[in-house]
Amino acid sequence: MSTETSAPADSDDVKAEFSDLAALDPEQLPVPKHRLHGAGHFAGLYGAEHVAATEFVIGATFVALGAGIWDILIGLIIGNLLATLSFRFITAPIAVKSRLSFYAYMHRIVGDSVSRVYNGANAVIFAVISAAMITVSATAVRRLFGIPGQEQAYPTHLGFVAITVLFSVVAVLVAVVGFNAVAEIASLCAPWLMLLFTVGGMVLLPQLIESINGTTTLDGFGGFVDVAGATVFTGINADGEPGIGLLEVVGFAWAANTFAHFGLVDMALLRYARKSSYGYATATGMMFGHYVAWISAGLMGAAVAWITATSIAVLEPGDVAWHALGATGFIIVVIAGWTTANPNIYRAGLAAQSVFPKVSRTKVTILVGVMVAATSAFPFFYRSVLPVLTYAGLVLVPLGGIVFAEHYLFRRLGLTKYWSRFKGVKHNMPAFIAWAAALVVGFGLNILQVIPYYYLFIPAWITSIVVYTVLAKGAGASQEYPEQQSEDDRFDARVKRYHDQLAKTEDVTHFKDRSVLGRLLLVVSVVALAIIFVFAFRVLFFSPDLYHYYVNREQFYVATLVGTIVYFVAAYTRQQRTKWLRKRAEASSGRTPPPRDNTR
Amino acid sequence: MKPRGLMKHRWAIMVAVVLVAAMAACAPADEQADDNTLTIAVVDNPDLVRMQELASHFTDQHPEITLEWVTLSEGELRQKVSTDVASGAGQYDVVALGAYETAIWAERDLLVPMDGLDPSYDVDDLLPTVRQALSYEGQLFALPFYAESSFTMYRTDLLEEAGLRMPDNPTWDFVVQAAQRMGDLGETSGACLRGVPGWGENMALVTTMANAYGGRWFDEQWQPQLTSEAWQQALQTYLALGAEAPDGAVERGFSENAQLFADGKCAIWVDSTAAAAQLADPDRSSVADTVGFAPAPTAGHDRNSAWLWAWSLAVPASSQQQDVAKQFASWATSTEYTELVAEQYGWVNAPPGTRSSLYERSDYTEEADFAELVLQAISQADLDNPTVEPVPYTGIQYVAIPEFQGIGTAVGNQVAEALTGQVSAQDALQNSQWVTEKVIQRTRLTNDDQ
Repeated sequence: MSTETSAPADSDDVKAEFSDLAALDPEQLPVPKHRLHGAGHFAGLYGAEHVAATEFVIGATFVALGAGIWDILIGLIIGNLLATLSFRFITAPIAVKSRLSFYAYMHRIVGDSVSRVYNGANAVIFAVISAAMITVSATAVRRLFGIPGQEQAYPTHLGFVAITVLFSVVAVLVAVVGFNAVAEIASLCAPWLMLLFTVGGMVLLPQLIESINGTTTLDGFGGFVDVAGATVFTGINADGEPGIGLLEVVGFAWAANTFAHFGLVDMALLRYARKSSYGYATATGMMFGHYVAWISAGLMGAAVAWITATSIAVLEPGDVAWHALGATGFIIVVIAGWTTANPNIYRAGLAAQSVFPKVSRTKVTILVGVMVAATSAFPFFYRSVLPVLTYAGLVLVPLGGIVFAEHYLFRRLGLTKYWSRFKGVKHNMPAFIAWAAALVVGFGLNILQVIPYYYLFIPAWITSIVVYTVLAKGAGASQEYPEQQSEDDRFDARVKRYHDQLAKTEDVTHFKDRSVLGRLLLVVSVVALAIIFVFAFRVLFFSPDLYHYYVNREQFYVATLVGTIVYFVAAYTRQQRTKWLRKRAEASSGRTPPPRDNTR
Repeated sequence: MKPRGLMKHRWAIMVAVVLVAAMAACAPADEQADDNTLTIAVVDNPDLVRMQELASHFTDQHPEITLEWVTLSEGELRQKVSTDVASGAGQYDVVALGAYETAIWAERDLLVPMDGLDPSYDVDDLLPTVRQALSYEGQLFALPFYAESSFTMYRTDLLEEAGLRMPDNPTWDFVVQAAQRMGDLGETSGACLRGVPGWGENMALVTTMANAYGGRWFDEQWQPQLTSEAWQQALQTYLALGAEAPDGAVERGFSENAQLFADGKCAIWVDSTAAAAQLADPDRSSVADTVGFAPAPTAGHDRNSAWLWAWSLAVPASSQQQDVAKQFASWATSTEYTELVAEQYGWVNAPPGTRSSLYERSDYTEEADFAELVLQAISQADLDNPTVEPVPYTGIQYVAIPEFQGIGTAVGNQVAEALTGQVSAQDALQNSQWVTEKVIQRTRLTNDDQ
């Protein structure tokens, strides 16, 4: 066991000199430079961030939309590459330069009233996403209560409504009082989820191969392409028409995270990056969660649709996971759903609170809870998660365009950044109008069906930039505000000094438990996951016929359940032990860790 | 080293990205299918290929209709059509289905009821058991194109030489004995045997043998019954016949065995009635003069081993042209079509097993002297009561549930291993019981209908 420490500073002096800054919500200030992270941190963060319950649904959606196999294999690479480049060249540079979350930076630029409306939209969107994930969890447990499958867009059984309401209430309560505990468990889930998404497809693939070729043996990559092209990504959509093509797949993959990259929401994460080139690290999420997991989820969905003679369009994630992963499948759906719903409810609550700052937190939480509970009863939302994410991006992206314009273009065009705040504008009309114009253009083109809806964010983004720049110029951005600018500079200089002081009192070293027990727990958790993979590998490559396939698959189910239990026991024990050791080390060194940041 | 060049050109990259998206946005939508085109998915077998050749007669009568054929292997057809039908995609207007799929899909409302047919179609002429096989709750959902049962085919000359006489209703014990005695003559192998593993291959035969011995796949609570005495007797009999078959039985299915028998390489064979036309045809069989036919064997119970299978044409509920599709399906399964085949290819090649009227035609029965036995086998089939004890499923050589394809083939794998001596008969059945329990438990849990 080891930990790096440095001499403690006099924290009381720091508190006295900068008490006003210390009293602020840390999010209002730039991230102190000593808290910045390296590229590896972001690779891990994004790898975990983009493997969630939504992936189950999105993979199946591509199948239902009729994507062809090569369109999927190539289109997802291109689309995810574009998303990575968008993170790298749009989000990361602004985040690294400002070291602020998007909400804080946007608030500085557009002011209070626009931020409130934006947060209102955010609250609704995050509530809907949370609700969709709660519905996903509910599909896995409805069978315990003998509730029939929910194949319609609306609930068809009161019991299902009761489950979703119950789940929503618990999820909201947990998000309020136990957010950190769930977040800790969620962090343990990431490697497990990644693995299970991968092996789920591997395990069901032989059955698909058998249905076509009469053999369970995979005949190389060419054989995979043939079988997946004939049974999963067939090029024919759920209406029997030619499905989406390469450009559509590219568009969906790119648009699935528009609010995060073009919409700049992921500034909250990337503001901790030392360099904007760390934006490339987002590729771990894009190329695993949005590539391997989507394709694997598509394979799982198509295989289970075939096994159960059911349409993939109405298959429930719980059933898919049950066939792919056995009892662990139900666990993964519930956990993936909850761990995705939890932060989104938290975000929805924060956004709603900023809309109604004078209303008590309890009342705002109840409001969000009611919204989540009402929405979660409708299977429509989880089945439509890809379009929901796409349209949500369209709504939020214009604000990203406005911030982009001020950040990048204003000084180049001789305009003043932060003009609205400097001028004391109460309602930033150029921002409101630019946002509205972008939505009119976006949704107008959608109604006219001029371009596919997953590409609408581009004209909307461009419109917001152009309209905002033109209107802001006339509204006061072309003027200079030397006094206010100087005040800003003085504030920034003071913040810098405050951060310099903080750097002396905070311990930002990444504590590692290097004890024998700590290492043993790490090895056990890694081996538990490795065993699951080995059993899946055996199912895929060592099942000479259907009988041996079933034998291997049943053994895989047992290994997966046991491996899951062992993994979580070992990983959780290690996590809690590390936390305890870190606290003990901090107590002896007199230095404190930075406050936990739950901002997204 | 910092990638300065890339940084410098980041705007160019983003502009290129936007242009790619703009190009994508301008991509034209796919054209809609022609409204007068019927898309017909059929399996790649001689009868259905022949149907394509004769389809011009239908389009001559309906020049406004264009036929588009999708011909696939049996596995691929089942996969593609089931995905299409289950999802309601409507890619196909007419699909070739077996009796197995018809039962499953009709139950799920995925097929259009075959009602409102023209009176000239004469639904009542369809053989009742075939009609039952393609019906759900009394409603016909597919029109039979061709139907088959199973019976016993044997060499009359060798049987006589062996000092035996074929009983009117042979038993499995007799068939084994006959195979051994004829095999001992040394001129040919004693038996042909379906050995290729698969739910529609070796398991079609083994299941009907088990039925004859009083066995069943599941009891009424869906508990597998594969370790029962009846299944053990059936498998022992199957293996005894396997011992009389030429080497490599495990690699031979229907076609290979038909060719072996036609070439005089085996003496007795219990299999599809569809083989009879080939074996009795001197142009295709060296034993046409010495082949005899008898009912499928029994095993001392009130059931013989005859199966019932029908290839049929159905219209998915998702088809946009249901009336026209029904029109085509009824033409391709009509007496008019049968006569057309007879005219072009001879009566012996007429699609058998579907209509009573075919068996009343002397020009057919004269060419096909096995016709009466085929009619008898098909007519006696009872899909709801395939064996002595009650069952919760329909189907004789199959169980009409979606998971049977997997279960049947997995059990078929074990039977094949028993045939090659890799496992004992007892182990094969215990393994089969285990795998059937596992699969049925897993799928029943996610089946809302149970």
